[in-house]
Amino acid sequence: MQGTFAINLARIAIIVAILALWEVLSRTGIINPRLLPSASDTFVTLGDLLQRAAVQKDLMVTAAEVLAAFAMAVPFGAVIGFLVAENRYFADVAKPLLFFAFSIPKSIFLPMFILVFGVGFAQKVGFGFFSTIFIVIMSTTTAVESVKVEHLTVARSYGATPWQTAFRVYLPSMLPVLLEALRISMIFNLTGVILAEMYASRDGIGHQIATWGENFQMKQLLAGVVMVAAIAMTFNELVRWVEARCSHWRT
Amino acid sequence: MQPLANVTPLKPAARAGAIEVKNVGQVFRGRSQDVVALDDVSLEIKPGRFVVLVGPSGCGKSTLLMMMAGLRQQTTGTITISGAPILQPDPDRVGVVFQEASLFPWLTAEDNVEFPLALRGVPKAERRAKAQDALKLVGLEGFGKRHPHELSGGMKQRVSIARGLVQDPPVLLMDEPFAALDEQTRMTMGDELLRIWAATGKTVVFVTHSLTEAVYLADEVIVMSARPGRIVDHLQVQLPRPRTYEMLSGDAFGALRDRIWRHIRKSA
Ligand SMILES: Nc1ncnc2c1ncn2[C@@H]1O[C@H](COP(=O)(O)OP(=O)(O)OP(=O)(O)O)[C@@H](O)[C@H]1O
Ligand SMILES: [Mg+2]
Repeated sequence: MQGTFAINLARIAIIVAILALWEVLSRTGIINPRLLPSASDTFVTLGDLLQRAAVQKDLMVTAAEVLAAFAMAVPFGAVIGFLVAENRYFADVAKPLLFFAFSIPKSIFLPMFILVFGVGFAQKVGFGFFSTIFIVIMSTTTAVESVKVEHLTVARSYGATPWQTAFRVYLPSMLPVLLEALRISMIFNLTGVILAEMYASRDGIGHQIATWGENFQMKQLLAGVVMVAAIAMTFNELVRWVEARCSHWRT
Repeated sequence: MQPLANVTPLKPAARAGAIEVKNVGQVFRGRSQDVVALDDVSLEIKPGRFVVLVGPSGCGKSTLLMMMAGLRQQTTGTITISGAPILQPDPDRVGVVFQEASLFPWLTAEDNVEFPLALRGVPKAERRAKAQDALKLVGLEGFGKRHPHELSGGMKQRVSIARGLVQDPPVLLMDEPFAALDEQTRMTMGDELLRIWAATGKTVVFVTHSLTEAVYLADEVIVMSARPGRIVDHLQVQLPRPRTYEMLSGDAFGALRDRIWRHIRKSA
């Protein structure tokens, strides 16, 4: 227990040190404060921004886009991944193609999404979906492959129906890998949506950050960065917390 | 009163647990050539016997066991258990204990044991009671709440045995259940298994690579040869029960083990 306490203390110390360094570099003018506003100024700005109705609306727009893209990409990708893993022929055909698709940087397709969907909700959801689906497919395939043949044989020898096999063997076997996949997919998803917003949009927090950048509003820009980082880390930690609770499943 | 003639006669109790393998063959169709895993295997096992299958690697022991469990269909021939053909897994007639790592790591020991009952929708209280009985029988009373990773190799195999026994099938099939255990644990588990077998009166078919284990446990040892898989000998082990450690160094024991070894050396 004391070990984890000490480790947590060390982590907090590092964060405090970074913030202190940031503050000092800016305040002493070692880095021009117009380029790097101090940490305290940034956090004060963050507090102000969060109270503005316009920023709140932008956050809501981004959240809606992220959730919509995620809610489509995860089940859709999971089903495709499952089929690829379970069907020999499908796997032989599709696997290399998926690897090709996965290796391509998704951002180069962004202009096409604007041409197809116009600038708006659909363009960002579409691009978020597109950025996420490949990693979901590949992770699901890995998850299915992590199901042990021995466990399936056991279920069969006790007369399990396909439905029982799915819920009592496949799902619990796959869950740790799936949670990990969920976490990483969200990183891709968030990146996709924010990128789409920064590239061409009328609203959303990504659009705001891009605008602040163009207008050289460094305080707001940094506050926006902190905001998005905090949201991403919160989701990540939430899933990791669930993961840790079923870590013994991995044995 | 019901006229007696209308009552379907019960299966003769003596048949429960009997295994009959008649002219069974298994051919695996390969890309370049077919593999004859088993060729015309016939075998009769009386209820309550402890039968051990030995033979060189690849002679078809697991294949034969899988067919008895209804997990695989033979290419030719018939297998009947308790007087009826076995066409698919039937947990009422056959319990299977697998090699290792067959427990579900996400379930506790007792949930693992209850798994076969849960599949059939047995009410929770009844399930729990049966699982406790089975865990007690294998000497794991009080360990029900642990997960597999919190148990030793021997304890895990005890849980597997409890899972195989929980529905009280007359036949227990075991494919190298102690192969992953160290020798000391393996000896103890052998004695434990004999105790459980004596207490329950099940028919046991047990696969092993250890000739000592084979002779020590068995009423009968069936020796197989490879390519194609055939039965080359069927020995009766007349050593008295309970078996003791001292018997291992006796002449009768040595003679049986030598006889099996000569068959295996010839076919390997
Ligand atoms: N699914 C399969 N497809 C093709 N051939 C198979 C299959 N299963 C088993 N065989 C072949 O059938 C033969 C018998 O295999 P089996 O696993 O029954 O042997 P075994 O006696 O249990 O061997 P071991 O002692 O190594 O466990 C082997 O030649 C094996 O290669
Ligand atoms: Mg085998």
